[in-house]
Amino acid sequence: MNRALAWARQDMRRVIAALVGLVLAVLMLPPLWILLQDSITTTDAIGDVTGFTLAHFGKLFTDKDALRSIWNSLVFAAGSTALSLIVGGVLAWLVERTNAPFKILAYLATIISLGTPYILHVIAWLFLLGKIGPLNDAYRTLTGGTANLFNVNSMAGMILIEGFLWSPLVFLLLGSTFRAANADMEEAARMSGATVLQTLRRVSLPLAMPAILALALFVFIRAIGGFEVPALVGMPGRIYVLTTDVYEATIVVPPDLGYAAAFSVVMVVIVAVLLYFYSRLSKNAEKYHSVTGKGFRPRPFDLGAGRWIAGAIIIANFCIVLVLPMLTLLWMSLLPFLRGFSVAGLSMLTLKNFRTVFTAPGYVELATNSLMVAAAAATFIMAITALAGWIAARRGPGGWLLDQLATLSLVFPGICLGVAVMEVYLRVPLPIYGSLWIIAIAYVIRFMPYGMRYVYSGVLQLHHELEEAAGVAGAGSLTTLRRIVAPLLSPAIIAGWLFIFLVANKELAIAVLLASPGSQVIAVSIFDQWVNGQGGELAAFGLIWTVLMTVIACLFFAQGRRGGTDVFGN
Amino acid sequence: MLTVRDLTKIYANRFDTQAGGVREVSFDLPEGTFFTLLGPSGCGKTTTLRCVAGLERPDAGTIAVGDRVLFDSASKTAVPLNERGIGMVFQSYAIWPHMTVFENIAFPLRVAKGARPGQEEVRSLVEQALATVGLAGYGDRPATRLSGGQQQRVALARAIVHRPKLLLLDEPLSNLDAALREEMRIELRRLQQQIGVTTIYVTHDQSEALAMSDQIAVMEKGRIVQMGNPREIYFRPANVFVASFIGAANLLSGVCDGAVAPGAIGTVRLTDGARIGCLFPAGAADGQPTTVSVRPESIVFADEPLLNGTVTAASFLGGSARYDVRVGDLVLRVVGGAEDVVAPGKTVGLSFAASSAVVVG
Repeated sequence: MNRALAWARQDMRRVIAALVGLVLAVLMLPPLWILLQDSITTTDAIGDVTGFTLAHFGKLFTDKDALRSIWNSLVFAAGSTALSLIVGGVLAWLVERTNAPFKILAYLATIISLGTPYILHVIAWLFLLGKIGPLNDAYRTLTGGTANLFNVNSMAGMILIEGFLWSPLVFLLLGSTFRAANADMEEAARMSGATVLQTLRRVSLPLAMPAILALALFVFIRAIGGFEVPALVGMPGRIYVLTTDVYEATIVVPPDLGYAAAFSVVMVVIVAVLLYFYSRLSKNAEKYHSVTGKGFRPRPFDLGAGRWIAGAIIIANFCIVLVLPMLTLLWMSLLPFLRGFSVAGLSMLTLKNFRTVFTAPGYVELATNSLMVAAAAATFIMAITALAGWIAARRGPGGWLLDQLATLSLVFPGICLGVAVMEVYLRVPLPIYGSLWIIAIAYVIRFMPYGMRYVYSGVLQLHHELEEAAGVAGAGSLTTLRRIVAPLLSPAIIAGWLFIFLVANKELAIAVLLASPGSQVIAVSIFDQWVNGQGGELAAFGLIWTVLMTVIACLFFAQGRRGGTDVFGN
Repeated sequence: MLTVRDLTKIYANRFDTQAGGVREVSFDLPEGTFFTLLGPSGCGKTTTLRCVAGLERPDAGTIAVGDRVLFDSASKTAVPLNERGIGMVFQSYAIWPHMTVFENIAFPLRVAKGARPGQEEVRSLVEQALATVGLAGYGDRPATRLSGGQQQRVALARAIVHRPKLLLLDEPLSNLDAALREEMRIELRRLQQQIGVTTIYVTHDQSEALAMSDQIAVMEKGRIVQMGNPREIYFRPANVFVASFIGAANLLSGVCDGAVAPGAIGTVRLTDGARIGCLFPAGAADGQPTTVSVRPESIVFADEPLLNGTVTAASFLGGSARYDVRVGDLVLRVVGGAEDVVAPGKTVGLSFAASSAVVVG
């Protein structure tokens, strides 16, 4: 006992590290374990393991449909990655490195899209490109026939929508790369007689290439695990990818959990391999950063008359990413039933849907639930990662292990984590399954890596002598943590909290398998309403929600600017 | 007052084959000494300081302040850094930006173990510390709104406010501009003598070390290679490293002409045949190869020269003039008076006193 006390007194960090490590292990390890176990065992009705089998994997690798899903997943992810990189990349370069006008519109679209649940975008696009949408409507009027120009429930439709879903993120991340690039190198090329295009092709692009590749891999990983677009756009057109296969296998009666687990294991392995290359690439990318110092602003390219073309591109993107989807949602919310854009429709405009949202009892409770779950998860994550990230960044006792544990869930696509968490907490003899708690736990596991990233880079920005000075002055580890580290880290902690709060309210995939009638969150509820054909109410509710989240997104960007941290923890 | 015995701390190889750290460092400081650890970067001076502070855990050795053992590898004693009661000024100053100047300085008093001073006492101690460093009235300033020199003074005030027995200074002047550095050098020394606190100062700047210290330890590759007062270090360098690290040194090689007793004057026959009188701190046998160090300012132009050479370069430095003089294969640096003008190309005779030519190896 005395020795234990002496050990603890030597360094309180050991006690903190042990406790935090325990919490992380209990949270992060069981989902991975259960997926592996389920994928190679047979179970009886109540979930007890009855034997070992390779049948799930056998089915996966012989079944034609399953192989097609894997192929579809790869095509879908590659296509949407390419589209988002081109759109987001061109935009980022125009905004950060040229004198193009209307730059503010690009930021505006990005901030608002950060606050909008993905599913709202998807629904708006389904409408715009769908049978009754303006595109096909105009085509039919033009040709006088009944044939449609574009079938949105196709791979092309999926790639188009997913690509524009990710382009704001690409814009943000590549924007910071272009901002950090050294303008001297480009100016040297210009002085040597190169045109803007030659400079771009021979100097700027090769310099930015490692960062672009890393980002491409990142978007690819996210698109492989994407659920909203495959579920809403792909499934009605009988186009299945890995995530929707996992979803189907879980919601059929009786659920084929072994098969879902095997699918999930395949995805986890794919993602883990990609993540390995991603971490190598992004380390490489940092080497090419040639930032000189704070407040450094490279001189933008003068596009000449071309700047108006650039301006037109920025406005077009603004319309596609923000104006059109929002107008669509507004139109949907103001009509009593779903119909195409038309003058005749104008006479039917009504605020009935908005009235319903504010008066029907479900909506307020739904909003409160969502906000509370997201806030609780964000708070818990930041509390844990503030400690874990500090110890890891300072190479304290067990720091490496804490870092690995906290970022373990990066390998889970959202839907797979949903399956795993469901499986784990079905077996826990506590009333967690079927309550909001299980969604909160899934959020905590899912977003723990983001919290870790924010704290870690926040700690690295603090000079280690600030802590050492407190130690020499007579403060113990806990006092140093409370009086020096915590206050100085608070900008990073607040930014991380807001980011997690935003993304938790945005994603559908994690919660879709865990929500039950009594415990819903926004994204799942919108999904259900869309499937049930309640388009008007969901649009009205979605718009109100978007306004609320945009306010929080603004706070987040303001905080990021103040704290000097990167916008995304990735 | 402070005793350090056989302090050893080896770092695993990271960049080159030479492992960093310190090896068997020992020194004893009387109360009130201003002691400087001097050496190039990577010589282990900062590691030594951090071991004394408790920021690093030594592999072996003993550290004691008075009767109190802070670290002893044999008895497995290691007092945690926050219980050592030492004051320290960091290279980056480490002023906490979220506190006022007053709160920064009051921090050691507020977290003190045992009987903490009351509100009134804290106020008076902090104000006293502020006055000592010449910042009276700055207490309410946010710590972020201070100049470099002021931050340095706040860091110093914070290090002395709780009356430590030992004050550690880790290159505190390296982030200041030249003029301010000169001023703070004098100020620091004055302060140290006023409070009388035993001080360890780490620097790579030899002029700082010479100007401020009672005792200097020159370190190279983790070991103390010479310890002494500034004059000994400058005029009696123990080896080639110390001679060339502390100021400029002309190194002449030759062989000892006849056996010499330690501390006596002897003769060295240089490679080109010239014979010069030198001081042999360690003595030498007949015919032993030797290297002699002569400071540029010890060499004078003379009519009865020891050596003859040709001026190859001359530069006027205001208060003095610097010459490069070729003697055989060697180029000697000579500092002369600013009034004499010796043009390049001219043949000159050089001379120096035997006591200012020291055998260093």
